[in-house]
Amino acid sequence: MNVLAIESSCDETSVSIIKDGSEEISTVILSQMDTHANYGGVVPEIASRMHVENITIVIDEALKKANMNMDDIDAFAVTYGPGLIGSLLVGLMAAKTLSFIYNKPLIPVHHIAGHIYANNLVKRLEFPLIALVVSGGHTELIYMKEDYSFEKLGGTLDDAVGEAYDKVARVINVPYPGGPLVDKLAFEGEDTYDLPIPLNDDSYNFSFSGLKSAVINLAHNEKQRGNEIIKENMACSFQNRVVEILVKKTMRALKDYGVKNLIVAGGVAANKGLRKGLTEACLEEEINLIIPEMKYCTDNAAMIGAAAYYAYKRGDKAGLDLNAKAVTELK
Amino acid sequence: MKYLFIDSATTNLVVAIINEGKIAYIYDNNDGHDTSSKMMPVLAEAFENTGLKPQDIDKIFVVTGPGSFTGIRVGLTVAKTMAYALNIPIVPISSLEVMASCSGGTALINARRGYVFAGTYDEKLNVIYPDSYVLMSDKLDKPYISYDEFEFTVEKSKIDVLKVIKKHENDYPVNPHTLKPNYLKMTEAEENFNKHDRKS
Repeated sequence: MNVLAIESSCDETSVSIIKDGSEEISTVILSQMDTHANYGGVVPEIASRMHVENITIVIDEALKKANMNMDDIDAFAVTYGPGLIGSLLVGLMAAKTLSFIYNKPLIPVHHIAGHIYANNLVKRLEFPLIALVVSGGHTELIYMKEDYSFEKLGGTLDDAVGEAYDKVARVINVPYPGGPLVDKLAFEGEDTYDLPIPLNDDSYNFSFSGLKSAVINLAHNEKQRGNEIIKENMACSFQNRVVEILVKKTMRALKDYGVKNLIVAGGVAANKGLRKGLTEACLEEEINLIIPEMKYCTDNAAMIGAAAYYAYKRGDKAGLDLNAKAVTELK
Repeated sequence: MKYLFIDSATTNLVVAIINEGKIAYIYDNNDGHDTSSKMMPVLAEAFENTGLKPQDIDKIFVVTGPGSFTGIRVGLTVAKTMAYALNIPIVPISSLEVMASCSGGTALINARRGYVFAGTYDEKLNVIYPDSYVLMSDKLDKPYISYDEFEFTVEKSKIDVLKVIKKHENDYPVNPHTLKPNYLKMTEAEENFNKHDRKS
């Protein structure tokens, strides 16, 4: 089954053709990152404007790259949420139109399910598993007993982890998108700043706004005293606290649920500090750790096409009245 | 010839199929639902009702603005995707021209803070005052036509889709890949960025 999938939930317009949920035939990603960098973050209205300008071009490119035409497509899939509503709507309307014109199924895919199934493009998922989803918009621990069954164990109570990285980057004067640069600086510095481990409790939830505030206050106080913040050290201390809590709660979830498979998904899965922390912990606990290739960490339609196959098998199918949802739980 | 007409730029959603110079189906309604969930079911109904298939359409006329940014994108995405997939011509249309299409006048869309999207058309739909984003003023020719409420008197917009299509039937079609919305207004972020740029 060939699925043409569309992803437009944030600042990437992407279209992929995926066979049977595991074979990537073609993927095209048009990133708007350079435009949004001018504004220090994604501007929703500008993102929506760029999606509508590019959507048909990206669809066409994906088909050409696959050397296919619409007759070769068996179903259309689309991210319906969560994400920026105006951005989501462009991909959603395009997918609904194609499904209508060609009278083929329309498969709605949750963005997080996509991030999880990005791993299926690398290696068939093994169940049961725990998924740690970490990105600019999400921080979640999910238990999966089998394909397309999601039980949310916990999530962030405030900022997503990637969001905290971007905000800390601003405090220590690192340009947007700050996450990758903070990660890089962290390896050049030492853990000298006294920052709290955030929400260090028995739940599977996370909270990063307190840690972020601690960084802001520390930077402010140092400035008052006429001291310069040592960027590298601040990045290192911040990253260490983040990685500590993510690793700790993830390892506990694996133990509590007696699960031997861990997958990491989302943009922050590219973070080297987190990769290192999880790799070490999983080696020690003999956990089978799967971290996707860098190209599958950021938003892309390949992951939506992969998830769509299993969503369809579960019976997920949408009508032409499918709407986009800015906020929606993974079920 | 069989044409499809789509206008989702204003609070009033219009979807019409024109078959050999006659309106075969028209949905022209302001029932407060969101356009994004309503658009495709209305389109499907239009085809079912006329016994036509999307593949039968020869040309698409689509309103590209001005109006609700999201509304414009909903209709334009559908129209662009259809024109591209079916490889048929697509022609951009002004929302204000459609609003003024019955008898001419100045069509207005409330753009907040005293601003309007305004365009003046005569009864033959010739442009008298081109579509603009301006502060509302008396200099704009009456009658005023709108779907929105204002502090002054406006006539409720009535539309003549056939008249609009006849006016634009021979317009040169555009490439669906490069067809853009006509917002007539930058985003706030862009405005602030430009202001800041000029100062520094």
